[in-house]
Amino acid sequence: MKKLIDFKNFINPIWRENPVFYLMLGLCPLLAVSGSVRDSLGMGIAVIFVLVGSNFTVSVIRKFVPSHVRIPVFIVVIATFVTIADYSIAAFSPEIHRNLGVYLPLIVVNCIILGRAEAFASKNNILNSILDALGTGIGFTIAILLIAIIREALGNGTIFGNPVFGTGYTPFLIMIMPPGAFLVIGFLIAIKQGMTRRRKC
Amino acid sequence: MKKKEVAGGIIVLFLITGISGYLLAQVYKVTKPKIEEQKRIEEEKINKEIFPDGVKFEEKCKDNISYVSVYNSDGEEIGKIFKVKTLGYGGYILLKVGVDKNFRIKGVKIIHHSETPGLGSKITSEKFLSQFEGKTIDEIYLKKDNPEGKIDAITGATISSRAVVDGIRKFLKKVKK
Repeated sequence: MKKLIDFKNFINPIWRENPVFYLMLGLCPLLAVSGSVRDSLGMGIAVIFVLVGSNFTVSVIRKFVPSHVRIPVFIVVIATFVTIADYSIAAFSPEIHRNLGVYLPLIVVNCIILGRAEAFASKNNILNSILDALGTGIGFTIAILLIAIIREALGNGTIFGNPVFGTGYTPFLIMIMPPGAFLVIGFLIAIKQGMTRRRKC
Repeated sequence: MKKKEVAGGIIVLFLITGISGYLLAQVYKVTKPKIEEQKRIEEEKINKEIFPDGVKFEEKCKDNISYVSVYNSDGEEIGKIFKVKTLGYGGYILLKVGVDKNFRIKGVKIIHHSETPGLGSKITSEKFLSQFEGKTIDEIYLKKDNPEGKIDAITGATISSRAVVDGIRKFLKKVKK
């Protein structure tokens, strides 16, 4: 029988089964927004909020929803939470809202969220679903922050807008452009795989 | 699939959508005044940034172009602020440009844009926008486009830079006529 609360659901997705480095989900917003650390943090928090909200709701309604309409129902739930996040960020932090631009509404189609709703929340109880959402969201945030820190530091010479390399540094411009995102994520996935694979043997 | 199952699916989907719609309407009601307040504060802040010595800002409209007239503490009109819309790399760029009486640029601020984050979004940076200060209309070209130009494009974001520069120049020329 499944446990009522299983903290593995929280711990696992943070690093070992990280949504980005292990499941390879949600790469589109990750690649697009990770050019600056501040925007990435905003994106991460928005994703955590939407994930927790949608996982919770999906878990609550999982027994009433017939399986053949579950995907549209999940999408409606997710879209609702994304819109709430969109309005709230516009109301309280217009600057982050402006920088995230179109990627904020696009959280709707972030596969992490639908993936967790379908694969986890629709089959597990409320507490475990929330734990899973928090873990997955934090895992995503850690991934996007890691990439953003590397890209912003190398490509712009700054972190959170503060210079880190002194004045003589010539920015490595490609890092801030789309190819930089692919390069960084490729290296990070390789490093992550190298670390976790070896441990298994 | 049986008729009953279909009906069940329709009812559930209908209910969920209805609840979501109601919830969103409530959230919208709560956040709308805040969002508008933020927008207004921001507009005022931008006007004040362009004209630090402006005291009164009055919205006006002439020949289908709306603008803000700026008055100093003596009640004298010291300049105007226009809203300019121009097509950038990722969509429309909305910006405000302040000019003094002789149509010399006083300041440029970007209000809204959808340029590439980290690249084109640098059109909002002080480093780029401060170049406009004190320039006449004929000097607002990119250096690489026109020998008279005095504006440096942003590295890696020529299209966005050009959109801002050309948008401002064309608009001001039209208004000046």
